[in-house]
Amino acid sequence: MKRFMFPVVLALLLAIPTTTAFSADKILTIGVDQEAIGLDPNIVTAFSSHRRVDLLYNKLVRVDDKLSIVPDLALSWENPDNLTYVFKLRKGVKFHNGREMVAADVVYSLNRVLDPKTASPGRSYLATATAIEALDAYTVKIVLSGPLPSLLEGLASNNLAIVPQEVVEKEGNLQKVAVGTGPFMLQEWLPDNSMTLVKNPNYFEKGNPSLDKVIFRVIPEQASLYAGVKSGELDMATISQGAIILQALKDNTITVMRKPSINLRTFGFNNTRKPFDDVRVRQALALALDRTEIIKAAEFNMGQASGPLPVAVKLWAKDPASLPFARPDLAKAKKLLADAGLPNGFTFSIVTASSYEGGLDVAQVIQNQLAKIGVKVELDVVEWGVYIDRWVKRDFDAMVEIRGGSSDPDRFLYRTLHSTGGVNNFLFKDSDVDKLLDQGRSLTKVADRKPVYDKLQVMLTEKAPVIFLYSPMENQIMSKKVTGFKQVGNGSIYYLAETKISN
Amino acid sequence: MGRYIVRRLLSLIPVLLGVSIIVFFLVRLIPGSALQMYLGTQVETTPEQMVELKRLFGEDQPVPVLYVEWLGRILVGDFGHSLRTGRAVLPDLLSRLPLSLELTLMALALALVIGIPLGVLSSLRQKPLTDITIRVVGLLGLSLPQFWLAALMVLGFSGFRGWIPMGNFVSLWADPLKNLQMLFLPSLAIGIGLAAVIMRYTRNSMLEVLQSDYIRTAKAKGLKRWVVIGRHALRNAILPVITVAGFNVGYLLGGAIVIEEVFALPGMGRLALYAIYQRDYPVIQAIVLLIAALFVLVNLITDLIYATVDPRIRLDEKGR
Amino acid sequence: MNASRFFKNPIALSGSIIVAFYLVTILVSFVWLPFDPVAMDMERLLDPPSFETGHLLGTDDFGRDILSRIMKGTAVSLIISLGATALGAVIGTLMGIWAGFLGGRWDHWLMRVADVLFSFPSLLLAIFVMAILGEQTYNVVIAIGIVYIPQFARISRGAILSLKNQEFVRAAFSNGADKTYVLFRHLLPNILVPLIVQVSLALSVAILLESALSFLGLGIQPPDPSWGNMLSGARKLMMIAPWTAIYPGLAIVFLVLGFNLLGDGLRDVLDPRLRNAR
Repeated sequence: MKRFMFPVVLALLLAIPTTTAFSADKILTIGVDQEAIGLDPNIVTAFSSHRRVDLLYNKLVRVDDKLSIVPDLALSWENPDNLTYVFKLRKGVKFHNGREMVAADVVYSLNRVLDPKTASPGRSYLATATAIEALDAYTVKIVLSGPLPSLLEGLASNNLAIVPQEVVEKEGNLQKVAVGTGPFMLQEWLPDNSMTLVKNPNYFEKGNPSLDKVIFRVIPEQASLYAGVKSGELDMATISQGAIILQALKDNTITVMRKPSINLRTFGFNNTRKPFDDVRVRQALALALDRTEIIKAAEFNMGQASGPLPVAVKLWAKDPASLPFARPDLAKAKKLLADAGLPNGFTFSIVTASSYEGGLDVAQVIQNQLAKIGVKVELDVVEWGVYIDRWVKRDFDAMVEIRGGSSDPDRFLYRTLHSTGGVNNFLFKDSDVDKLLDQGRSLTKVADRKPVYDKLQVMLTEKAPVIFLYSPMENQIMSKKVTGFKQVGNGSIYYLAETKISN
Repeated sequence: MGRYIVRRLLSLIPVLLGVSIIVFFLVRLIPGSALQMYLGTQVETTPEQMVELKRLFGEDQPVPVLYVEWLGRILVGDFGHSLRTGRAVLPDLLSRLPLSLELTLMALALALVIGIPLGVLSSLRQKPLTDITIRVVGLLGLSLPQFWLAALMVLGFSGFRGWIPMGNFVSLWADPLKNLQMLFLPSLAIGIGLAAVIMRYTRNSMLEVLQSDYIRTAKAKGLKRWVVIGRHALRNAILPVITVAGFNVGYLLGGAIVIEEVFALPGMGRLALYAIYQRDYPVIQAIVLLIAALFVLVNLITDLIYATVDPRIRLDEKGR
Repeated sequence: MNASRFFKNPIALSGSIIVAFYLVTILVSFVWLPFDPVAMDMERLLDPPSFETGHLLGTDDFGRDILSRIMKGTAVSLIISLGATALGAVIGTLMGIWAGFLGGRWDHWLMRVADVLFSFPSLLLAIFVMAILGEQTYNVVIAIGIVYIPQFARISRGAILSLKNQEFVRAAFSNGADKTYVLFRHLLPNILVPLIVQVSLALSVAILLESALSFLGLGIQPPDPSWGNMLSGARKLMMIAPWTAIYPGLAIVFLVLGFNLLGDGLRDVLDPRLRNAR
């Protein structure tokens, strides 16, 4: 028994309130609705874990608030040909344990991701990498077997963060400890309660971070998060419920930051099941949907209509209004159904879950809208774990999902809609689409790629294997004391490194 | 007495064995697995990775084999590691137990403080209107959906700092005052329903006792009314109330799930809830076993209290 | 049962009035509802209660009329409550009688099974069953019914055991009466009182359990309205549209109160010991 008592006692000791800290400290308390599941950047998949990794680790490159790739641990890079990338590293960057980060760490970390034993979710970001070498202490070369235009975007993923080998070997993995190069260091973690990060005094960006401490507090109720910011118990909170944002917008003591995220709400079909194997049926359903109504009822207007590429990625996304089926046309929809031999409509079921990601609200509006063209929808509302199970087994007629988008079109569309794509659970196979996706992947320059993806966006909307509905907003609310925070669009809260708080 | 306790403790074993079998096989019947939850809908994996992942998540062996291995490790005190966080299960669980116990005991205390006096008052039925009012109010308390009440409390008290935990829960040892303040509303949300149950039992039991011969004798002897009620009637009437209270301690331990979620309390119920959502089998198994064991133990303690309060009861004859 | 005594008891009477009110609501809901409970109205999202719009209790986040949904949900809640109680009561009571009456090995094993089920945390058990069977209305009935089995088993067994040793039963046996005869003639009628009281309690708890399951996302599923899923949908709306949460909550509170009053009143009327105390 004794050996079990020790952690208990330790936990009790650690629970001593932090309010006794010096008041001169600049502390930012942020409320989030989910606890992190683990902290190993190369391993974690949970959104909540990524938000902690944002502050603890760095990557070779990162995505800035304009969704462009900017230097992080690498100061510069070049690709002499589209199979070779050479990165020049920053000098003098220190891990939280005081050791300098060098090229060998990059080689170790990326190989760790490639190793099947690590089972890293980031492995596909390096899909065609054949060799990762240190040319000298501050130069790394990545060699590919085939072109991978999304490589830089992949390297900006938290899953490809640079970790210190000796700590991984000592601890087995980094799920419970954090030794990165990031702007903040892990001080204390009380699961399902709070996590305290302290400033990394040696952070490579001079002058940052300005905050001495960031305290995460886990509060599942969105209304409580809002109340916390309002009462001053929290300085900031991440909100997903449109209803709460609506309330916060009316409150002039609170700053509300909103930005369309790079995620996409989708309504997808099992393209091998009847009648969804008929493109006219899919088009009819697309024409019956009114995105404005869906966004209004399900998101309280906290979303922006989008096509196959997230509307926030301005470089690539076509204006959603310019794409086919942007506006509902019930007469045409009915005609298409009749052409497909279904003049009286048909019945199918949508798999959905009552969690936000499961999109129950969206499914209810879709059900209502499709009834207008005689299509009867049954909602198959399942618990989240069952939802994932149905998704993995492709056991559905249709499903409402949130798809994690990407700032690179190849990265997002290839895996989602190529006939060999890893997350093409729509079982969509189309040789024209495959051809364009392969062509896009073989090109590296934006000017060459752009026409391909423009064409592809129109083609995908017309073939409608999945209907892309909208991008939800990413919302942060904060007290007026907080300044300098910027939203990225992929959920990252990295900019807490540049955030200031006044007392 | 000693032999009785030993025998009762021994009877714990088949019950816990039964619970362990049910929970072990039942959780695996729920569609979905921790591995699927980990991968979610965004992650691509290679076949080699999947082999490794299946090994890591313990999906590479038949369930009966896993069960025997698990049981064997439990006997030496190893409850395994969480599939979700990788942390050892037992320390995580034990670090949450104090909060859940405190919540349960506070709810019980509030229920007793509210329920017993109301029950006694109601049983005396000096005025029928008082009796009926108390009973209706009590039953109203029993009729409130816990989470609805809790959500209303969060809404109503959100403007007052310190009453609603905001991920800043502190243990009783660290800051007793703050701790009690934060647990007050959650305990009340749980305790109100239980208070109604306690009131009901107190009332019924008092009614029975009050008409028994010896109370009549006491009354006839001319003892003061409140002495009769307080010293004689209540003391005897309290027995069934103790049973019910004890019974509910076990029930509350597992039943505070919803309250812990609404009030953001890092207790065992919330751990159980997320473990179910994430199919974190080792955690679910350990929690269910722990709650079942506590439940049986609390019932044993209740019976012992019963025997101490009323020496006429011989434990072995309770026909269990 | 003595009907006049029942209706003279104010607790029992008020309980019956409340329950009767809900039964009438169900009958009315079959023929008439103020609005279509599943029809969405995008122009009237989250309208507050008002006479002018006709939405007496307001609308929800899809513009659906809350009063109509509550009325429609009454039948769902009652079906679950009655179904789950019937399931638990029949199986549990049979188990309990069997165990108590036959005694011996049967008693031992049946009661161990009940013990195991009993020491399983009930909400967790219901969550497990729901997650395995899937979120359909009849599965909610099964999930809650299973939770009830051990409770009814224990109560009926206890009652049988205490009766078995009483004079009139012993006398019946010594007069050479058949076991089955004794069971039906002497035992069953006498365990009805504790069972009826337990039934009324179970009826009310089922409604609370359904709403708790819904709150966790495992109850009755939309668009069919149940009070539980109305409440769980209203969770995010409490701040901006409190009526979406308050009225379905009150619907639950009063029906549960009705069952509880009924149960308490029945106990007053039926339990001879309490009766004499009057």
